[in-house]
Order: sequence, then C-alpha cells, then structure tokens
Amino acid sequence: MKKILISTALLAGIFTYAGGFRVSLQGVRQLAQAHTSAHAEDASVAFFNPAGISFIPAKLSIAAGGFGAKSTVTYQNPSTLESTETISPTGTPIYAAIAYKVHKDVSLGFSFATPFGSTIEYPADWSGKEIVQKLELKSFYFQPMVSVKLAPWASFGASYIYAKGKVDWTKAVTQLDGTINILDDQASGHGAGLGFYFQPDAKWDLSVAYRSPVNMKAENGKATVTLPNASAATQQILFTTLGLDANGQDNFTATLPLVEEFTLGATYKVTPKWSVSADFNYHGWEKYDKLTLDFENANLGNQANDATILTNPKNFKNAKTFRIGTQYLFNDMIAGRLGWYYDESPYDDKNFIPETPSFDSHVVTAGLGFKVGHGFGVDLAGAMAFPQARTFNNKSISFSGQAKAKAYYFGLGLSYNPF
Amino acid sequence: MKKIIISSLAAVALLSVQSCKTDFENDVNDAEVTSGSADFTKFVALGNSLTSGFRDGALYVDGQNESFTSMIAKQMQKAGGAQMFNQPMMADNLGGIPGVLPNKYVLTVNAAGAFAPALATGNGTSTLANIYTAQGFQNMGVPLAKSYHLLAPGYGNPANLSAGMANPFFVRMASTPNATVLGDAMAQNPTFFSLWIGNNDVLGYATSGGDGTNPITPLTTFTDAYTALTTTLTSNGAKGIVANIPNVTSIPFFTTVPYNPVPPSAFNTAAAGQPSNQDANIDGLNAQVFGVLKNILTALGHGGRLQLISKTSANPLLIKDESLPNLATQITQALVSNGVPAQQAGLMGVVFGQARHATNKDLTLLSTSSVIGTAPTSLYAVAPFNKYGVTFPLEDKHVLRGEYTASPSSGSEANEVKNTIDATTAFNEVIKAKATEKNLAFFDANTKMAELSSASGISFDNVRYTAKFVTGGTFSLDGVHLTGRGYAITANEFIKAINKKYGSTLPQVNVNSYTGVTFP
Repeated sequence: MKKILISTALLAGIFTYAGGFRVSLQGVRQLAQAHTSAHAEDASVAFFNPAGISFIPAKLSIAAGGFGAKSTVTYQNPSTLESTETISPTGTPIYAAIAYKVHKDVSLGFSFATPFGSTIEYPADWSGKEIVQKLELKSFYFQPMVSVKLAPWASFGASYIYAKGKVDWTKAVTQLDGTINILDDQASGHGAGLGFYFQPDAKWDLSVAYRSPVNMKAENGKATVTLPNASAATQQILFTTLGLDANGQDNFTATLPLVEEFTLGATYKVTPKWSVSADFNYHGWEKYDKLTLDFENANLGNQANDATILTNPKNFKNAKTFRIGTQYLFNDMIAGRLGWYYDESPYDDKNFIPETPSFDSHVVTAGLGFKVGHGFGVDLAGAMAFPQARTFNNKSISFSGQAKAKAYYFGLGLSYNPF
Repeated sequence: MKKIIISSLAAVALLSVQSCKTDFENDVNDAEVTSGSADFTKFVALGNSLTSGFRDGALYVDGQNESFTSMIAKQMQKAGGAQMFNQPMMADNLGGIPGVLPNKYVLTVNAAGAFAPALATGNGTSTLANIYTAQGFQNMGVPLAKSYHLLAPGYGNPANLSAGMANPFFVRMASTPNATVLGDAMAQNPTFFSLWIGNNDVLGYATSGGDGTNPITPLTTFTDAYTALTTTLTSNGAKGIVANIPNVTSIPFFTTVPYNPVPPSAFNTAAAGQPSNQDANIDGLNAQVFGVLKNILTALGHGGRLQLISKTSANPLLIKDESLPNLATQITQALVSNGVPAQQAGLMGVVFGQARHATNKDLTLLSTSSVIGTAPTSLYAVAPFNKYGVTFPLEDKHVLRGEYTASPSSGSEANEVKNTIDATTAFNEVIKAKATEKNLAFFDANTKMAELSSASGISFDNVRYTAKFVTGGTFSLDGVHLTGRGYAITANEFIKAINKKYGSTLPQVNVNSYTGVTFP
C-alpha cells in the first residue's frame, strides 16, 4: 500500500490538475492536508461527501471556518514591454456545516459553502481593459442532506443544492471612451450531490462523491454602458444606436455553468497517530465551452444573424486534481498537517482569458489542529501556490503575452462535537 | 519505513515544485532594447501629411504629438537613439492659419440629432512665420507634398505661395526660403531615415474626382524623384525604411457615401405635417423626365444610362460622365419631335447629354455628401432640374467614376478608379524596387490597408479596428488621414519591418492607449 501511494504521487507530476474559478477552500482541516476529502472527524465533511456525516464520531457536530485568499497575477507583453499587476482584493471564502444523527443509522446535515468564486481587478487602463477591468464572481451553495448507514462500515448520502450567485463584470469600451458593466446578483441554480463513505476497518476511510453541475441562470441581468466624457446629446445618439435605454442600460440573460465534480478519496492510518490521505478530483469544465449573453434589445452582440447575442468562446477542458496530505498527532491535543496538490488549468494556452486567469499550479499546504476540550476544536491552515508562468496567444480576443501568479491562503476553522 | 515514505513524499513535492517555472523566462522590466545593425542616433522622417501627424483635415498639436514617427522615435530612444526628435509644432489645437489653412474638423451633433463632422470654430493662432532653429526638424513630414516636392527648391519660399509653388507647412519650417525638404534632412546627417512619400501623387487626383485640376504624377517624374530621394538619403551610408502607397480607393473618403444615397422620401416636398407627396412626385418625374429620356436613349442605343426613380429602394446618384458621347443634340431633337417646347428640350439636352446614373463601381467623395440635393449654380438648373445628384448631374469633381461597361466609348481614360489603382500599382513597383536596390526595410502599407478595410479589420487587445468612417476607429474625420490609434497601428508595422530588417528589438506601442475619434 505504501508503494502504491508513492508511485501515485509520482504519477501526479505527469497527469494532474482544478483551476478555473473553482476554489478549493471548503474546510480548514482539509486544506491543511491538501484539501483531501476522507476526513469524517466533524461536520465539515458535509460539503465533501454527504455520506461522510454518518461517520462523524458525535451525535451533533458543528463546523465553520473562513479563509483569506490573496493572489496577484502579473501580465506582460514582450512585444510592447508593458507589464501589469492585478490589484485584486483579498478573497474571503467561508463555510459552515451541521450534522445530527436523528437515528443510529440516519444523519441529517446542512452545508453552506462558496465553492466557486473569483474577484480579479486590474488597473483600469491596463492592456487587456477591453476584456476585463474587474470581474467578481460569487456563488453560495446551500445543501441540506441526508445520510443512511447501509452497514456499520458503509453509508450512502445525498444532498440537494440550491445555489445563489453574482456576476459583476466591468470592461472598457475603448472605441467609445467608456465602460460596460454586466451585473446580476440574483443568479440561481439547482443541483444535487451524492456519495458513499466507507470505514472498512480501523485504518481506512474511503470517500466516493459526486456533485452535479449547477447551471447558474442570470435572468435579471443588467448591462450598463457608461460614457463619462460624452455630452448628453452624444450619449443619447450612441445609446440609441446601441439599442440601450436612455440610461445606457439593457437587460440580459446568461447561464454560467458551475461544473460537476467527481471525487475519490482515501485516508490510511499508518499508525494510530499518523495518517496519510489522497484524493483524486475530476472536474467537468468541458461544459464551459462558451459564455453567451442574450441582450433584450442592445446590439452589443457578435452573431451575424442576431446582433443582440454575444458569444465568447471559452473552450475549457475537463481537468483533474491530485492531492496528497498527511496528519500526525503529536499528542491528544495537537495535530500537525501537511499536504501538496497539483491543479491543472482547465484551458490551454491558446484559450487563456485574463478575467479568470488559470495556471498549472503546485500548492503546498500545512496546518495545525487543536482539541481544546468539551468537543471543541480549532484548526489553522496555510497554503502557498506555485502557479506555472504561461505564454499565451488567444486569437478569439486578440490577446497575447505572458502571465504568472502568486497566491497565498490562510484559514481558521472551528468545530464543536458536544455529544 | 515511515521515514522513507515521508522523505519520498517530500522529495516528490520538492521536485515537482521546482520543475514548475513560476517566473517569466525574460521579465520585460529587465528587457534590453537594442538597435541591431541599424544606427538610430539621428533619426529623420521624411514624407507627407501621414509622416507629420496630420489628421481631421489639419495639422495640430495633439495630432503632432501622436504622429507615428514620433512614436517610433520614442521607441528608438529606448535603444539609446533619436535623442532629439523635433517636430514643427503648430501653435494650437485648431490647426488653422487664418486666411491660409482651415481649422481641423470636429465631430458635432447636427440639428437632426446625428453626428456630423464640422470645422472647429475659432481663429487659429498658428502663422506662416518661419520657426526653424539650428537643431532642425527631425520630423520632415510636409502635408500635401508629392514625391518631387521634396526635391523642389523654393517649396518653402513664402514668395512662391501665391503662385501655388510653395507649401505653407514647409514655409514654416524650411531652413532658408530656397531650401529643399531633402536638403534640410541631409543637413542633419541622418543615420536612419523613414521615407513614406507618393500618396499625394495619386491621392490628389482621386480626391478631386479626377477632374484634371490635380493630375496623377507621370511615372517617369515619380521614378526620377524616388530614385533621387533614396540615392541621396543612403549616400552617407544611412539605413532606413520606406513604405509603399495604400490603395486610396479603400479609404473612408471614397467608401462612406454610397452610389445610391437618395431615398424615395427625398422626393417628398410636402410641408411638415401634410401627407407625403413622394409617390406623386416620383410618378411625375418618371412620366415627364426619366421615362421620356430613357425611351429616347434606348432608341439611341444608350438606354442603360438612366433608370426610373424607385418608390421603394434607394436611388443612385445622377452624374455627368464626360467619357460618354454627348447626345445633347439628339435628345433635344427627339424631345422636340415629341412636342416638348424647343427651349425646354434644349435645356434637357444640355443637362442630360452626358448624364447617367451611378453604379456600385463609382466612388462618391465624402465631401460630395454636403452637395447632394442642393441647388447647383448652373444657369440650366431650373426646376425640376435643380437638385444636385438627383435631377441635375453631379460634376466630375464630385465622383471618382468607375467601370461603366454600357458605355460604348469607354476606354482606359474613362475609368478614374482604374487610373488611380493603376498609378498606385506602378508607383509601388518603383518603391519596392528601390527598397530592394538600396537594401532598405520596407513596409507594405498597401497590404495592411487591405487588411484594415476587410470586414474583420485589425484587432489589438480585443479592440477591433476597421477602415469605416468614425466607427472604425482608425480614420480621422477627414476620411483620409488616421487617428492616433491608426497611426499607432502604422508605427507598429514600421517597427516590425525595422526589427525584421536590422535585427533591432524596438518595442511596439500600445495602439489602444492613443486617441481615436473624439465624440462631442
């Protein structure tokens, strides 16, 4: 078994991978161990696998946590020798979960998490301003769930996902010396999760989980063109020409796919104090092949047969992530954790988009866990990403150059297993 | 065993992290800009309005500051060259010299609530006074100059202005009244030059509708001038770049006004609020004028010249085509025999003797748009023959005539568009040959212009530029010269050609950071 773990880790360098705007920050304990999934110690397992709540060693468990995510992307153009660094704010994804055994074989749970999201901001006059100046993507997953023990060593769980989301995208309209903002903070969608969790013996935890895609539908989108330097008369002419109302606005609809995810995870207790965990994720990014905005009246599109439909090719591809982490219990109260994972960018160089920049990335994680008594636990985690610089030429947005990134994550999690 | 696993894991993680390159191979902030085999120490740019930064129908400060040659000079400075690049700055942003040169065009909102270019108001503060200093001007772009003008002594002599033998722009910047543009350039001992000349040798013919007031430069004159220019400029070993002439018939000055800009509603003469009399008027004109004339012309074998006016679709312009046989006498005779009074028949014969409707081969000048439908000054322009381009033919100067196959007498002289393109082709062959002979960098502006005027245009960082008037972003309000962004695209092409030829590493400019058409 140990040999298998090692050779799998070696393989990771060859075939690898999550990226996009999927944020692997749904559990502090998990992040410290490379965000692996087969950890049923408290309710934070709920997001990873609804079946996991059956194996929480308490009748009631509550877990919550938050992160700080700081990332900087640097773009440079070797042709013009220009370079730009993002001025993105620190992201703060959060999660909370509760699980309760209503019967010895039946557990109910609820998970709240923000699995997809990204806020990127560039200086307003940067080279790629026509593509993005600022993009804020947010999602909130609300998941009630139930898990049933099929046997003392196996459980099956299922969840319903209700998702709320927001898209707020500002970019320049260089030819008109203005900007356009695309906003919908009422987007919503539905999905489901299901999974199996096994503890075949005292040494093994095995987790198999699937989370369905969620199509976030923006039904009440508002596009706003702002022309700060134009006279009122000019604005009216241009707004009329573009099919916008007197305020420079129009409605739009769009669907943003939050893609499916399949996870296989295992934790093996090498000794009672030392465990090793590994995860394999498969992300269905292929669904995100294009982003289509359908305007009510505005001629902001690019389709020959309908000028109100704007289609941006994205050409994402399915991606994998391989994770490996470990935990060592120094004593009954303190646990030390380490991890490493590799995330592949869900698109090729020729499809690089600066609004959701993505890189093949190694991430090193670490953390500590404290049991402070009466069922309370405190977890700390930190992670540092090593994204691989890339050289790209995206012809569909006539944008080329090189990009690199830095990213750091910090997390603080609390858990409470009262009885 | 435990230790082996841990150290193996650590080793794998470390190797993986190290094998991934997180940093740029070459950070642009550390990039060194080099000259290659060129020497940019003294860069002098020769040419016409394009080299000077002329736009919106005038030379003015903001435009000069975005001349493509000054953009190139700034990039050369990064390689240690072109430390001085003086331009003959105008005094203000109007660009006009009262009594000599008009102000620039600005975009305005007209009474109908639409955008329209109009001359900027106010009195320009630039004068014809000479502003030459000992440092000379490194931007020797002289608006309006043709190839041979760069060699003409006295082209900057104010005494020659009234005779049309001098150029007000060169009067301002010439070192002495009888200096030549080339001489003033050579006096600076340029180590590197740009030469973009020849556009006006054919453009003037085209923008005057081929009416004979501004003929195409004879090929021998052009060849001699171009040979003298390139020979002299390279005589002290200087390197440089030349560019050819873009096909002027694809610039907005010729592509913005269609051949058929007359809508049926133009025939409505009812007062506002009254029911339209459009159809009645069209019926009347067709019955009494166009139908009658078409029948007569058909009998004479020239029925294709005229069409009946359409009530449903846009109508073509009525133009005078002096390449056609003049059928005035025959038309008059036929009208008289139809019972038309002799005086009216005579007038119609004169007006329609060489008239025809335009086709999609003809190019209407941008400046003609303000003439269409107005009353001509001709004595013959009596109602209903009092609307230019509608019931009275436009003059030669209003339209660059294209191929007209129905004309039995059409020859090479009849087709002004072809004359323009043929001359461009011939001049471009000379330019290419000289570039090769003198081993100079060469920018194929003609091919780039074709790319710009294609439907997809040229995109830079997701901003799409085309050759469309105003909306395309590259052409200024005169329809001939470029905007700052258009000049930036040009600068990049020059830079690419220089780098390719001389192995230099001049960076390109960010097209989108310059100005386009300014909305009011």
